[in-house]
Amino acid sequence: MSTTQEIAAQIREAAKRLLSEGKVDCVIGFAQGTVPMRDYPYFAYTPEEAENLTWSRFCCNNLSNFLIRRPKGEKDKVAIVAQGCVSRNIVGLIKENQITRDQVYILGVASPGMVDRNKVQALFPLKTITEVIEDGDDLIVKGMGFEERVPTKTVLRQNCYTCVMRNPVIKDEMIGEESALTHGGNIDKVAAPWEKLGPEERWAAFQEEFKDCIRCYACRDACPLCYCHVCFVDEARPQWCGKTQEEADVATFHILRAFHCAGRCTDCGACESACPVGIKMRKLTSKIEKDIRELYGYTPGMDLKSTPPLSVYKPNDPQEFIK
Amino acid sequence: MADKILAKDKLGEFLGKLKKDRQVFGPQNVEGKAQWAPLEADETLLWEFANTHLSPKDFFFPQTECMMRFVNQASDEQGMIMQAEPELPQPRALVNIRPCDAKAMQVLDLIFVQDQMTNDFYWRDKREKTLLVGLACNDPCPTCFCTSMNCGPHSTTGLDALMVDLGDKLLLTTLTDKAQALAEGLPDASKADLAKAAELKKAAEKSIASNVGMDKVNARELMELYELPMWNRVHESCLNCGTCTYCCPTCHCFDIQDEVQGTIGRRVRNWDNCMSWLFTVHGTGHNPRGTKKDRVRQRFMHKFKYIPMKRGGEIGCVGCGRCVLLCPVNIDVRRLVNDMNA
Amino acid sequence: MFARRRFAVLKNLLEYVGIEPGRLHFSWISSAEATKFQETVLAVTEAVKALGPAKHMIKDIRKVA
Repeated sequence: MSTTQEIAAQIREAAKRLLSEGKVDCVIGFAQGTVPMRDYPYFAYTPEEAENLTWSRFCCNNLSNFLIRRPKGEKDKVAIVAQGCVSRNIVGLIKENQITRDQVYILGVASPGMVDRNKVQALFPLKTITEVIEDGDDLIVKGMGFEERVPTKTVLRQNCYTCVMRNPVIKDEMIGEESALTHGGNIDKVAAPWEKLGPEERWAAFQEEFKDCIRCYACRDACPLCYCHVCFVDEARPQWCGKTQEEADVATFHILRAFHCAGRCTDCGACESACPVGIKMRKLTSKIEKDIRELYGYTPGMDLKSTPPLSVYKPNDPQEFIK
Repeated sequence: MADKILAKDKLGEFLGKLKKDRQVFGPQNVEGKAQWAPLEADETLLWEFANTHLSPKDFFFPQTECMMRFVNQASDEQGMIMQAEPELPQPRALVNIRPCDAKAMQVLDLIFVQDQMTNDFYWRDKREKTLLVGLACNDPCPTCFCTSMNCGPHSTTGLDALMVDLGDKLLLTTLTDKAQALAEGLPDASKADLAKAAELKKAAEKSIASNVGMDKVNARELMELYELPMWNRVHESCLNCGTCTYCCPTCHCFDIQDEVQGTIGRRVRNWDNCMSWLFTVHGTGHNPRGTKKDRVRQRFMHKFKYIPMKRGGEIGCVGCGRCVLLCPVNIDVRRLVNDMNA
Repeated sequence: MFARRRFAVLKNLLEYVGIEPGRLHFSWISSAEATKFQETVLAVTEAVKALGPAKHMIKDIRKVA
């Protein structure tokens, strides 16, 4: 299995080739961040710029977010580095007519599982981390006054543990080898954690999780599914959702956003990675994904043919709750 | 202005004196992060930390603030009269605030309290009633660049008093009248103490690795900076969320709304951010900053050009580095301003 | 018919965050079924009243800051 550095080199080669042959106008990938554990979305327009492309276990953004509403020019075709969940989002965007298949050239990569920087930081509370390097199966975490070795598999993002598709479901070119499909975690064991609680405890758990929300909308803006020209929170006439930090307003935003992603969310974790205050909103969205799977047998983004579950109905859909 | 020594075993007494007349807040370990919270047990006050996760501007400019209330019914006795919200009931003290954050509050003073017409009561009341006791940074972190922003790890701007950790004791320097009472009963600092503090200051300033050039940004004409080709690339990865704005100690934009339920109503002010497309939408539907490029450019032009131009050279940034750490797509203000300065 | 799926997901979601089951009700009623409409409204009103005042998702601008 190639290391991420080897994959990075292959991505650079492929990007340089595609750009110099004029096959694409831009390659969307990642470049190395200026802070630890945060590689960032990078747009390479020339083979020289393609030298900056990288790949690592710190690539936590969902690049398909940047495919939407690109200026439509005659020649505008982009290449994008996409692992499993990201490629499923690309499928979703094509199905929802936000992009066309021939607009994207997909450089598929098997996901190694991305690191959750909050988990790493939590191992060193209040300390400043200055550098994190991948070293085999470990991370070397350096900081002000310390250096430690941490096994990478203990600090992955939650959604990566229960990944159902590490390999790209759609691609034009494969970078590196395909890997085992999943990381081995069973999503049904951890999805919807509040189901075990009674109604009062559920509300308390919900409030506890979202109490730090500062309404920055980083979760919404990092999400490839959220591309409405006017988001429901930005509507003023009528105003569906208050802009304050109060309980009911914060709850309304998160409940409705989760609902709008029903049947479309691929559990890529970009929302949790973007959140500046570390809210685990997947505790909410995982309930919807579980319902969609159990009630309608659908997993979003696996292929271009299947119809989104909330756009169809079957005569025998469950309806015992309707009187 | 007095230089005193506060022995570490006398901290309890010192904080107790503060707590007598003021509600005291300090950075504490909240779920693994340094965050501002009311100080109950003195032992929970943090002394070894880089900076708080979010800035303390919330103390003076709450994210959600009710400005006034009203009854929306002409027939009611209280109807159609705006009732102001009460003033801050009790004075406060923020202990161990970092110099960059204190300076930021002073920068915001220039915005919120300008002249007779622009005199934000809500801001002013809280500022006047809050004592800022700072803690100098002896170990600035790699993302700090305060020295490039007219500030520094031992800066006294905006503070009522500054403490420097000399190792076995604290050097307490009172800077304003409000803080004079803090010096009472404390022994004077010796020449050796002051020398040690000066040494720590020099070492801290030297250790700041990030350098952000502002000379050309200051010298260039506004339109020259505005038309730089770099803006075409910078905005590409920006998500247009509000993370940078909300964690920044000098960002100050807000949105005022009236919320009405039946016949009662309130006027509420919430933080707003210029990264949102909605920020500049006119009633007609026209949006002067309709593209991401316009908005991203605006943020940096405002902080590093417009504010210095309009506020006598004061920069709209104090180099705290929070946006660098929290931006989901790692848009690094240090790199960006250096590009503006290239 | 399409709404049925959305109702199912929404009901589960709201109950998942702690809105009491019994606050949210669904029923298929055609405009020609006036009696059923009346009966349903009465039944729902009774059921919700029995739960008492809503404690969640309430924004009372008198109470909050």
